[in-house]
Amino acid sequence: MSLHDQDDPALRAAQEQRLRAVWEPPKGLFLRWSDTNNNQVGKWYVLTAFGFMLFAGVLALIMRTQLAAPDNDLVGPGTFNQLFTLHGSVMMFLFAVPMFEAVSIILLPQLLGARDLPFPRLSAFGYWSFLLGGVFVSGSIFFDAAPDGGWFMYPPLTTRTDLSGLGADIWMLGLSFIEVSSVAAAVELIVGVLKCRPPGMRLNLMPLYAWYILVVAVMILFAFPPLIAGDVLFEMERLLDWPFFDAARGGDPLLWQHLFWIFGHPEVYIVFLPSIALFAMLVPTFARRHLLGYPWIVLAAVGTAFLSFGLWVHHMFATGLPKISLGFFSAASEAVAIPTAVQIFVFIVTLWAGRVVWSTPLLYATGSLAIFVIGGLTGVMVALAPFDWQAHDTYFVVAHLHYVLIGGTLMPLFAGLYYYWPLVTGKKLSDRLGRIAFWLIFVGANLCFFPMHLSGLEGMPRRVFTYPEELGLGGLNLASTIGSFIIAAGVAVIVFDLCRSPWRKRAPRNPWQAGTLEWLALPEDENWGIRSIPLIESRYPIWDQQDFVRKVDEGRYFLPDAEEGRRETIITSVLDARPVSVIRLGGPGWKPMLTALALGGVFILTTYHLYWPALVCGVVTLAMVLWWLWTGTAEIPEKPCKPIGHGMELPLYISGSASPGWWAMFITMMADATAFSGLVFGYYFFWTRHEAFPPAGMTAAPGMTWPMVALALGLAGWLMTVAAREIHTRGGVGTARLLLVGGLATSIAGVPAGLAGPWLSGMDPTAHSYPAIVWTLAIWTCLHAAVAAIMQAYVLARSLAGRMTPHHDADIRNVTVYMHFFALTVVAAYATIGLFPEVA
Amino acid sequence: MSDERRKWHERLNVTLWTLIIPPTVWAGHFLFSYLWAAISCAKEGAFAKFPTLFVAGTVLALAIILLSGWIAHRQTGMRGDSPPHDEGTEIDRLRFLAKSTLLLAGLSFVGVLFTALPVVFIGDCR
Amino acid sequence: MAGGVLAVSALVLTGCNRHQSALAPFGLEARSTLGLTVVLTIGAAAIALAVAAIYVAAARAPEGRLSHKGGMRLVLWLGAIIPTVVLTALLLWALPAMRPLPAEAGDLRIRVEGEQFWWRVAYRPPGAPPLFSANEVRLPVGRTVVFELAATDVVHSFWIPGLAGKMDMIPGRTNRLVVKADKPGTYRGVCAEFCGLSHALMAFDVIAMEPAAFDAWLAAARTAPPRPQDRGAALFAREGCASCHAVADNGTRDIGPDLTRFGERLTLGAGILAPTPENTAAFIRDPHRFKPGARMPAYAHLSEDEALALARWLKRTSPEEGR
Repeated sequence: MSLHDQDDPALRAAQEQRLRAVWEPPKGLFLRWSDTNNNQVGKWYVLTAFGFMLFAGVLALIMRTQLAAPDNDLVGPGTFNQLFTLHGSVMMFLFAVPMFEAVSIILLPQLLGARDLPFPRLSAFGYWSFLLGGVFVSGSIFFDAAPDGGWFMYPPLTTRTDLSGLGADIWMLGLSFIEVSSVAAAVELIVGVLKCRPPGMRLNLMPLYAWYILVVAVMILFAFPPLIAGDVLFEMERLLDWPFFDAARGGDPLLWQHLFWIFGHPEVYIVFLPSIALFAMLVPTFARRHLLGYPWIVLAAVGTAFLSFGLWVHHMFATGLPKISLGFFSAASEAVAIPTAVQIFVFIVTLWAGRVVWSTPLLYATGSLAIFVIGGLTGVMVALAPFDWQAHDTYFVVAHLHYVLIGGTLMPLFAGLYYYWPLVTGKKLSDRLGRIAFWLIFVGANLCFFPMHLSGLEGMPRRVFTYPEELGLGGLNLASTIGSFIIAAGVAVIVFDLCRSPWRKRAPRNPWQAGTLEWLALPEDENWGIRSIPLIESRYPIWDQQDFVRKVDEGRYFLPDAEEGRRETIITSVLDARPVSVIRLGGPGWKPMLTALALGGVFILTTYHLYWPALVCGVVTLAMVLWWLWTGTAEIPEKPCKPIGHGMELPLYISGSASPGWWAMFITMMADATAFSGLVFGYYFFWTRHEAFPPAGMTAAPGMTWPMVALALGLAGWLMTVAAREIHTRGGVGTARLLLVGGLATSIAGVPAGLAGPWLSGMDPTAHSYPAIVWTLAIWTCLHAAVAAIMQAYVLARSLAGRMTPHHDADIRNVTVYMHFFALTVVAAYATIGLFPEVA
Repeated sequence: MSDERRKWHERLNVTLWTLIIPPTVWAGHFLFSYLWAAISCAKEGAFAKFPTLFVAGTVLALAIILLSGWIAHRQTGMRGDSPPHDEGTEIDRLRFLAKSTLLLAGLSFVGVLFTALPVVFIGDCR
Repeated sequence: MAGGVLAVSALVLTGCNRHQSALAPFGLEARSTLGLTVVLTIGAAAIALAVAAIYVAAARAPEGRLSHKGGMRLVLWLGAIIPTVVLTALLLWALPAMRPLPAEAGDLRIRVEGEQFWWRVAYRPPGAPPLFSANEVRLPVGRTVVFELAATDVVHSFWIPGLAGKMDMIPGRTNRLVVKADKPGTYRGVCAEFCGLSHALMAFDVIAMEPAAFDAWLAAARTAPPRPQDRGAALFAREGCASCHAVADNGTRDIGPDLTRFGERLTLGAGILAPTPENTAAFIRDPHRFKPGARMPAYAHLSEDEALALARWLKRTSPEEGR
């Protein structure tokens, strides 16, 4: 195919016909929900997250009404505690994080000129998990069973079954389920940014939104797993009475606080950076020039990501830790203000150098910057420990965090809503209603939250359902309540505006005259994403590249056709986006939704102590995943290569580190390893808390023999898998199969060997934190051995079924990545439980 | 300038992985400082003032950050047109990564110094 | 001497107990933190206004007024260098301020344990046996006092805003908070860490006394107030109150609040009710009406009359009082 072939309108029409057929969404009342295309899933995702935001907002209004006057009795303390727990949890876990994932699922393929993200079915799985878990958690309040321990769920209040009921389990298990979907989204987004960029879009031409998303997704990978580790310990204590947080039996409530805030502080930036990413897209558009200081933004994003992991103890300044430890975290908490200041000034300077075009999105951006700056400055204040000892757990902090989250998450999202609505629906929102809503929200937010600085310093603690009149806080609280209703009025105006949107006339394409790739989207709502995948030569190709839009639309770039009737997109190299291959994407199907349902069953049934049905759901989940993998991944294509235009031919099958699947496994295992290190941290944390560890008088210990046997078995399984991969690549299929059988055998043998240490020595996990954490490490490692066995069996089966050959070897390469991490886990776990007691 | 004759610091091209060296050094230094203080306070009940190990670790961290910053700085100054360097060329991609690395080195340098401050000004376990 | 103590009690009873503010300090720690707060607030306001002014100027500037190079210089200075300098200065100020006040072995120690939803207090003066109390902390002005803070059930946080910052009470740990009050008066402290159903109803009274008055009170408090063997005493015995509460040497201190000097307290139910016999009687008959989730069972089977008699008996600190 040459460039001039595309001059033929009939050919173009035929191509469009084929593309349209391939990307045709499933229709019908039921079938439509089997869709996996990012345009559809992204919309469901955004709407659901928006719905949860409105729900959590209503909860806040009830709370504010209760607090409007001193000694009020609109709701009792039991209801109030559920309200604030759910408000915080829903806003964080069901609105802020999923919303950024949802927006990214819609926008990222457009920004990257890709037809879809690399794992569309994974996105759909994540969505269904999110919906199921979200409804489960937030619906609990209608049965008066909502979690009531605060969104931070501090034990022992929440782990003692006599002090807290089902709500704690609902929180822990329901949100664990959602954390799984967040990690799934992180995998999708990282691989999307690194491997699915259009040819020519080197790292330095990447839209800043993609940079931010890359950084944030990596943060999720390291932030969520410690919470998952904490969840595991927490539920072990609640369901099985293993005393991780029970001081009377050698546990420590502070371990939870560490694990929670190692997640909790990065979380703040996980919800803040994507919103700033929206600024980075719309500020250049309304300054009518390139963003000044592109590397500065990358500095700020990457720097914030790193520093945000050194802040967690600033939520624990009042726990009585040594002052020197607090000092480190105070210092890092100050340092993180630097990259934040850099971002703000990059935007200001860009507006300064450009020609500012006022618009509703820019108005929201300006207002949110104003609010955010105040929140950031009070953040600098609370980062100083002496001030924080007064402000901590008071309404001052409530004011601070709402300024940060409204200025840094909510209002930028509204800016993004007004900016990107035409891109998604083809219609503009009303500028007039948008401005009215803006002023309501802006004034309301300040009226609601500014007085809280004062009420906090005047002695109003957080999470109180009422306060006595004598404190003289009535006036400030009434102002806050009035403010909260003004915010609600503003949001109501926006909802009204959204509801009217379907009856508005279509906006022209690219209504804001932006320069970035996503504005190629057609208002006519084609599902194929982009007509042809362009060659990128600038950060603002629509502004800078000649005839860019026309060439894309006429299919003059890459992959303008779908000859084989398959959904496809181009995979490129990480640094310079050189085309590497064409991958076939998964199409519509029920597997993602059914897998999510089965996995949800595991979590939800466990909440109600229905262990056997939960186990059945677990087996079904495993079967679903294997079926999904078997039928839908590492498919051997009907021909080795296909042309993508301009005389380029790309392979249709890749394996190893160039392929998205390999990256997905690597990234998933990074998260897994982080969760595991959270558990290992638990072991050494208990070590620091006891004079002797294993504690004196605790005779039962796993000893050295069995842990070392299990270690040897684990490493043998790893070596055999690596050897199998090497020999398989060189054509030794028979030897490779034999090695896999050997690896399978050692992995299976590793399970009883790993459990033998604590089992044969009669360690009672309910007696003390020491046997409990030893058992936990052993069980974790043995579960991984079991998964290793399943994977080795799977690869063996693929080979025997002819679905894996020395050339088409993605399966064994991906499993080897798992085995590398498995080997690390085995070494860390068994060295800790078997060897450390000898040296400590 | 041919490849053989380039200096060693110009051959060490910055990439996505080298970009995160300075902040990773900060993270390592931070974690080391925190764990060490926490463990010695919990286990020994005391924390030596100006411990040699801490000073050595801080100097080492600062040195690595300075070195990676300097290498990056040399690569930002490569020949070519004037800023803003936002072309879709190999050299601009390199310059962009080098500039970002340099800025991150600056931030990480400040970060490591900040981490050292508590040891100087608090220095015990109370 | 007892008369002097009574006079002090009467004096503080008349005052409106609304001093729970970090902005009205009566201790060294809170006073220095207030200084920090004022400086930080002024600084933050100045920076916020400056950023706003720069933003407005930037938005109004005509296109091309700022070159690429000039813009980068602004980001470097305003975004990176100036913040770094300001933050360094703040750290240099705040880090030394984190050091706790020095305490000596001879200083008064007061152990406070958080319970759902009240405070167990034990005064431990050097070289003397401990003195038990609940829901009220008295401390001498001008002397260093060491609070030893612990909890047995869940995490609480001990906060007297006017005296010092807060310190958590965590099961399995004992935290120290060293304070020095510098202004006599009656103040209020609260639980600042969410601790369950009645977290909002967990406060206590703080009475900062002149050193001499404090010493006098401490000495007098060692003698339990005489209580007559009347109907109230019989009810106390009949209802088994002593299995949770201590009155002088009668009863346990491990479960409920010590009631030995109950009549002296400024409030009832950990800082939530006026200490009248009527309120006390109502609390005995239905504690959960005032304090949801409290562990004390309801004594609804007592008649109002009986409850009032018990309350009057409890409130006596001398034979004439509590009528």
